[in-house]
Amino acid sequence: MSELAELPPPPDVAGFKLDGTEIFTISAVENAALCRSTGVEPALDGTAHPIYYYIGTQVAMGQTVAGLCAVCDFNVEDGPMMGSSTARFAAPLRTGGQYRVSGEILSVVRKRSRKLGVMDVLTYRLRLHELDGRTVVETDNVWVLPRKELV
Amino acid sequence: MSYAIGDTLPPFVVDSVSPAAMREWAVFLADPNPIHLDVEVVKAKGLGDRVINQGPINVAYLINMLLAAFPGGRIESMEARFLDNVYDGDQVVASGRVTAVEEGRIACDISLDVTGRGTVNAGTATVLI
Repeated sequence: MSELAELPPPPDVAGFKLDGTEIFTISAVENAALCRSTGVEPALDGTAHPIYYYIGTQVAMGQTVAGLCAVCDFNVEDGPMMGSSTARFAAPLRTGGQYRVSGEILSVVRKRSRKLGVMDVLTYRLRLHELDGRTVVETDNVWVLPRKELV
Repeated sequence: MSYAIGDTLPPFVVDSVSPAAMREWAVFLADPNPIHLDVEVVKAKGLGDRVINQGPINVAYLINMLLAAFPGGRIESMEARFLDNVYDGDQVVASGRVTAVEEGRIACDISLDVTGRGTVNAGTATVLI
């Protein structure tokens, strides 16, 4: 029997919906502050900083960060870590633009690493949609959830 | 402007990562995780002795590098892997290299490095030009 087989299975949450209920609006004022906080001036053509793909989906998905962790039976105080983030843009994000979020958990895979011990690798997908339903950007995020209690 | 495989992109440099920006991003992200705000929490968790930059800010530095390298271009896709933390006061350098050139589309390898410590983010991007 492998070491992993001796561990309890990860939470069975693949398919859990992360659809938002609120409309996310990219404020021109906030976009300007965000751009300057990263060392650049905001664009003059009405496009928002592309990092709003991450911000908009995180803020307006149907869960807080702590809530998403809780869905995965993980306490946010135990320190989730970002593993990777992928974005596919169909169109630019715009200041003043209003967006809805849809999404779902794709998988939670339990692994054992030399550095972190037992961990769950959470992969979830979120999309920002125009209010007419068109998808503007789709993102897959991977978080590492260290399972200290299973070391 | 023409591009060729192997071209290096002009670097985007942040001389000193700012804790004030981290406080702003806690609001942008609606995520008040104290490891980005309170150095005592970072120490208590054994994560170092400086506050830790939010991961999406590091991705924003990579985006800034791409948008400066391709004026008028638009990011079609990108992937960033998080390899290590960036801390308050770090100097970071976002850089890239062209890996493929098609009609209207450039593919690049991208990375974010902390001066003196090495690569903290690595990934790929395609930009429509």
